[in-house]
Amino acid sequence: MDGDSSTTDASQLGITGEYGHYVLQSQDDDADESLNDHEDGGVKENYREQDIYLPIANVARIMKNAVPQTGKIAKDAKECVQECVSEFISFITSEASERCHQEKRKTINGEDILFAMSTLGFDMYVEPLKLYLQKFREAMKGEKGIPGVAVGESLGDELTDDSFTNPLPAGIITADGQSQNVMVYTTSYQQIPTVQQIQFS
Amino acid sequence: MKMSQNTSDKDDQSPSNKKNISLPISRVRLIMKSSPDVSSINQDALFLTTKATELFVQHLAVSSFNNGSGKETNSLSYSDLANTAEETETFHFLTDILPKKILARDYLKSLEQMQEEEADY
Repeated sequence: MDGDSSTTDASQLGITGEYGHYVLQSQDDDADESLNDHEDGGVKENYREQDIYLPIANVARIMKNAVPQTGKIAKDAKECVQECVSEFISFITSEASERCHQEKRKTINGEDILFAMSTLGFDMYVEPLKLYLQKFREAMKGEKGIPGVAVGESLGDELTDDSFTNPLPAGIITADGQSQNVMVYTTSYQQIPTVQQIQFS
Repeated sequence: MKMSQNTSDKDDQSPSNKKNISLPISRVRLIMKSSPDVSSINQDALFLTTKATELFVQHLAVSSFNNGSGKETNSLSYSDLANTAEETETFHFLTDILPKKILARDYLKSLEQMQEEEADY
């Protein structure tokens, strides 16, 4: 195990009572396991079915940009977020899928996703996402000649409602023209006080 | 720090920077498809999920960093994440995959204590 990850064991002392959700941490926790195409689950004892992960390099990069410049990120933290990401995607997808089925539709569309986020406590993402979607669609229009994103899904199910054509609220910073991700939480979603506005330099 | 747009991914999308995504869409799609009863996903949904995932990573990283020992140690550790999952309602869904780690010897010690207490009845 990396030397700088020793904080995980010392900090767990003194936990009394229930032992519901503990996993035993071996001394030489293999931190090298879940890299890009890790197919057989993580090192944790509660084996998950979602063994498909996003590449750790991408995940780590986003994390690195999010925390203060000089901050460090433990290796097991990166791997852990990698797993959380898959969990998040599945979480959103199954909620969206359910709504889709309820409305007797077969294809999950953008609105299902946004609705799922709202329902599951991520409604602070919804407004920024709508803006990103707008930009994405504009970008796609500009590439009409090219077969487009190699997604393999049909381009049917255009979103018909007007909810994605909201004018830009004042104070929203778009990521246009910059090569970093700029994430802005509008102040109307006061759920997480510590995460009001994130700007990445 | 410059964000390379999909240049390091083998799942290469369009070379355009305008879409502003730094995660491989096709991998996201794979994960979505692994959910039961998912037949097809339209392009908007796929994009939104990918983008939301980026926001999620940032959100989780920042919350955990600020919430935990990060501010003093200036680092983000696994236990910061585990604590945040437990304390922040939005991240409750992660508690199953973010169990707090405990050394085997500490667990056994506490187990012994528990058994001793029970033996006192």
